Amino acid sequence: MTDALDKTALEAAYARWAPIYDYTFDAVMAPGRRAAVAAAEHCGPRILDVGAGTGLEFPLFAPSSNVTAVDLSEIMLRRARDRVLQKQLRAINGVLVMDALRLAFADGTFDATLAPYVITVVPDPEATLDEMWRVTRPGGELVLVNHIGAEAGLLASFERWLARHAPNLGWRPDFPWARIGGWIERKPGARLLERRALQPLGLFSLVRIGKGEA
Amino acid sequence: MTDQDNPRAEMHRLDPRLLEILVCPLTKGRLEYNRETQELVSSSARLAYPIRDGIPIMLPEEARRLD
Repeated sequence: MTDALDKTALEAAYARWAPIYDYTFDAVMAPGRRAAVAAAEHCGPRILDVGAGTGLEFPLFAPSSNVTAVDLSEIMLRRARDRVLQKQLRAINGVLVMDALRLAFADGTFDATLAPYVITVVPDPEATLDEMWRVTRPGGELVLVNHIGAEAGLLASFERWLARHAPNLGWRPDFPWARIGGWIERKPGARLLERRALQPLGLFSLVRIGKGEA
Repeated sequence: MTDQDNPRAEMHRLDPRLLEILVCPLTKGRLEYNRETQELVSSSARLAYPIRDGIPIMLPEEARRLD
């Protein structure tokens, strides 16, 4: 399978979206962010937020949490940083430009690694999952929120049509569950803890993957 | 330069909680925080990662090579 989204196209798409991103996507994506933050905080205070963007979920974290936020887009992160300063969000210990394939943390640093709306847009989803897995401690969790493509029917056709426009959209609407499911099956110690459709519309799902004790 | 000289210094001070866990993305070796130059120095990779307006840029391709 070739990837329609490369890094340059992604950065360009996000540069274009940054000014209006918060308004256009927040309404449909907010319930997913809330569910994801709650799931991550359940694992412990040390949380990595991958693909933090403009930091829409930042105010949802409890002040006692200890959250590191990373994204590839410096433009998005400037807005995230302003949000932290303006709202004095104590939970956020920093926002950093990082490649999700090469995270600047030691193995097992975090209680939970949170990736809201990330896995379906990155060029190499499996390698991204591997790297997030590495920095999560045994007993911790990967928490994903994703749009998982419909498997058949009218919605599936619509999504395949949308997929052809993926480079403009910045995400891949026909992403099949099998890619995440297959990764879990192949990964020693990985266990699917939860896969739950989120309201409104059930467009997005919360996925929790447990990391077995080493 | 002291913090009094620079009203934006608050933005430029990295959180100790972050410095505790941050390593070089290439070698996973330790980093030294240079507040003067606003860089995170990886002596193991011979690279200095820039911090722009309080945002560390942890990409090897954006880092300054140390001789």
